[in-house]
Amino acid sequence: MNRTSVKIVIAGGFGTGKTTLVSSVSEITPLTTEELLTSASVGIDDVTGVESKTHTTVALDFGRITISPDVVLYLFGTPGQDRFWFMWDELAEGAVGAIVLVDTRRLDTSFPAVDYFERRGIPFVAAVNQFFGECEYTDDEIRSAMELGAEVPLVWLDARDRASSKLALIALVRHAMSRLPQAA
Amino acid sequence: MTGEAWDGDDETAAGRFVPLYVLVNGRTSPRDTNLDLATQVIAVPVDSSRLEPEYLQILGRCGGWISIAEIGAYLHIPLTIVKVMVDVLLEQGYLDSGAPAQHKVVDMRLLNAVLAGLERL
Repeated sequence: MNRTSVKIVIAGGFGTGKTTLVSSVSEITPLTTEELLTSASVGIDDVTGVESKTHTTVALDFGRITISPDVVLYLFGTPGQDRFWFMWDELAEGAVGAIVLVDTRRLDTSFPAVDYFERRGIPFVAAVNQFFGECEYTDDEIRSAMELGAEVPLVWLDARDRASSKLALIALVRHAMSRLPQAA
Repeated sequence: MTGEAWDGDDETAAGRFVPLYVLVNGRTSPRDTNLDLATQVIAVPVDSSRLEPEYLQILGRCGGWISIAEIGAYLHIPLTIVKVMVDVLLEQGYLDSGAPAQHKVVDMRLLNAVLAGLERL
């Protein structure tokens, strides 16, 4: 097999534990890379290079898992703020799918992510992050509040826990497989 | 020439003396649109002594397979710029690239490999 990269997007509202999840399963300490806010300014306005860097870039956290000698899985956390939607397209393009982290105290912060992946037909699982404490809601209540389709898996996890995060990733990959035409 | 017209004070702190847009000839997107932030590249063992230091710095990171996102993170270069610079290096034969991460169709064989890999974690 050719050297192959696979992407999974870790999405959710600000503070839902995206970087925590990436940290718990990544084989490297999560890295942060930056993207310019407008690529148009690279060649035209930005005459002194990175002079106003802190104002013109958005940070992306990511980690990696070596799957086999030829396959590496990259986990990309989405930028927290909604105004960075333009980055989502690049992250989501060709991705296996996404994990949308949910904080039950602030369900609404994850609505935009659910909406984004639903509209584009990108497989995703909703993952309720339990490190915020006891959750008084049932699966059905969360599904209903988030308007999750019946086919969308809902999992519970503790993003700090490697085994728990791993199970959420497995649930996503299985879900993506179930949507392939070959799957009986 | 560029140096005369350009007050480089701000750049000194960043250790960068050539405006980024000069390095990439004003290009704002890679020629190879399949280049993704997760695409992996590796250095080809050829003479690279004529390359500019910024390009050598990238090659120096590519002794083993590495993604564009990782290069950007380690060298503190914005992704848009890394992509164009990597594209230049690919075009000139200094780098080889793996399969693009933008799978139009993710196949079952690959997903099975990913699943098995995750289960081994």
